[in-house]
Amino acid sequence: MPSLVELVQSLVNGVGIGLVYGLIAIGFCVIYNASGIVNFAQGVFVMLGGMFTHAMLIKLGWPLAVSALVSIVAVAGIGVLVQLAIVRPMWNRKAPLFAIILATLAVQLLIEQIVILTMGDQPRTYPDFTPGGPLKIGDIAISYQLFWILGCGALMVLLLTLFFNRTRAGRALRACSQNREAAALLGVPVDAMLMLSFALSAALGAAAGILITPTQYTAYGVGAPFGTNGFIAAIIGGFGSAPAALLGGVLLGVVQSGAIVVVGAGYKNVVALTILLVVLLFFPQGIFGGRGKKA
Amino acid sequence: MTAADPRPAGPRDVDPRPALIEVAGLSASYGRVAALKPVDLHVAEGEFVTVLGPNGAGKTTLLRAICRLVDGAGRISFRGQDISTLRTHHLARLGIVMVQEGRGLFGEMTVRENLLLGAYGLGNAADEVERRFGQVYALFPNLRQRADQIAASMSGGEQQMLAVGRALMAGPKLLMLDEPSLGLAPRIAAGILDALGALNREGLGILLVEQKAPLALKLAQRVYVLASGSVRAELPAHEIGSHHDLARFYFH
Ligand SMILES: Nc1ncnc2c1ncn2[C@@H]1O[C@H](COP(=O)(O)OP(=O)(O)OP(=O)(O)O)[C@@H](O)[C@H]1O
Ligand SMILES: [Mg+2]
Repeated sequence: MPSLVELVQSLVNGVGIGLVYGLIAIGFCVIYNASGIVNFAQGVFVMLGGMFTHAMLIKLGWPLAVSALVSIVAVAGIGVLVQLAIVRPMWNRKAPLFAIILATLAVQLLIEQIVILTMGDQPRTYPDFTPGGPLKIGDIAISYQLFWILGCGALMVLLLTLFFNRTRAGRALRACSQNREAAALLGVPVDAMLMLSFALSAALGAAAGILITPTQYTAYGVGAPFGTNGFIAAIIGGFGSAPAALLGGVLLGVVQSGAIVVVGAGYKNVVALTILLVVLLFFPQGIFGGRGKKA
Repeated sequence: MTAADPRPAGPRDVDPRPALIEVAGLSASYGRVAALKPVDLHVAEGEFVTVLGPNGAGKTTLLRAICRLVDGAGRISFRGQDISTLRTHHLARLGIVMVQEGRGLFGEMTVRENLLLGAYGLGNAADEVERRFGQVYALFPNLRQRADQIAASMSGGEQQMLAVGRALMAGPKLLMLDEPSLGLAPRIAAGILDALGALNREGLGILLVEQKAPLALKLAQRVYVLASGSVRAELPAHEIGSHHDLARFYFH
């Protein structure tokens, strides 16, 4: 049996990674709610966020804040490009949703290959945003990076909630998620809104990748596991509000890292996928509120 | 002239008002099914026109084709401008707004948010938005009391008021409505149609689609009878004496 200290420590670690899953989950929800598309390229945004920041911070020696911001903007731009070049033409030709979803999966594999060819296949990382640490409370160690993840995650959810509820564009995006035809009839440019949703969720994914990289590493292939876990978190959260997706992520992160100390690291994904199936079987609307609720 | 005569060149020529919207040879199909055979139709500035027709006549398809929600062939012009190649979201800014069959509300949003989205095209012109809120609340005082209620939780009548109010927030020149009285108690439906009458007297052009006639006929100046995707008749509203008369157009 693991000791209490081990359990608490795994809880702390789980909250950190879970918040990151939550941010990725919100990205899934933003696109899904605006369009019904599950964007399987979500994971590459996470990977690119870490890779770009590494390149600017370590290779070019730019300050962290600049590297992070430029990375987020660049990845948002790639999100827009994916929408413009692939999703929009398919959408306008009335391609079935599953075809569009498959196309996003192809985009994920394509971008991974491009990254291998241009940036190499070696894993890389960069230091915590605040040097020093970890913070010791008794035998529990809390890395300073966890506070960055907590703070930035909370800030982003707050800003997103304000955006969706208080701004004209945010309301229009929610309108598209509830009734695209009615939104278009009132003058909302639905295409542009779909583009905005890709930009937003790419930016969220990038931010998640930038925040988590110091605690582990990034490489061309990290997108798929992050994407899968973010997707599971979105389902637990019910594909609804941003806070629900974040909670879904934290729940998943905590259970996963608990599983690592209780049954061993090899079972991490077994546990995650079991949770997914249990949620799909018993809570098809998600655990934290139904789908399509106020974002 | 008997009422059964289609009168393509009839009331048109005596109406001195310029055309607000003019539809020429508009057709639409779903796969092989021709839901709308080429249809000609117009609404003059400030006119109240009703389209009557039985289930499946193509009434909804007609309005949706005008709004580019279904692909149609044909020419549509609005105040002389060809709009047949525009996208749906361009129409609101020109002043063409449709209240959909089934209302098309943003069910999980509040009444106020629905109305705000009606004014989407105004951008952030807060004064004008407030002015339109005032107008809509004056027309439908219920909406003011329920401003913070979630749209889906309101009664059918209130929802239809919201649908009309939201369309008015867009500042339409032509308001198209697809069976707004569907599923409502007669008294409630009458209230909504009365509001449309009042708006029309202030100069708003109205194209109303209904299946059941009496109320819609009282307000309309001109009526089209649509059946099996074609215009079977076009005549002044007062020439349709009773609902019974309509059957002749439907089934001939
Ligand atoms: N999405 C669709 N796919 C295939 N056929 C359709 C579709 N929508 C309508 N139709 C067909 O087109 C014809 C016209 O339908 P439409 O909805 O325009 O009639 P309507 O006059 O509005 O009827 P109602 O009074 O019942 O609303 C009908 O025969 C209908 O079955
Ligand atoms: Mg209809």
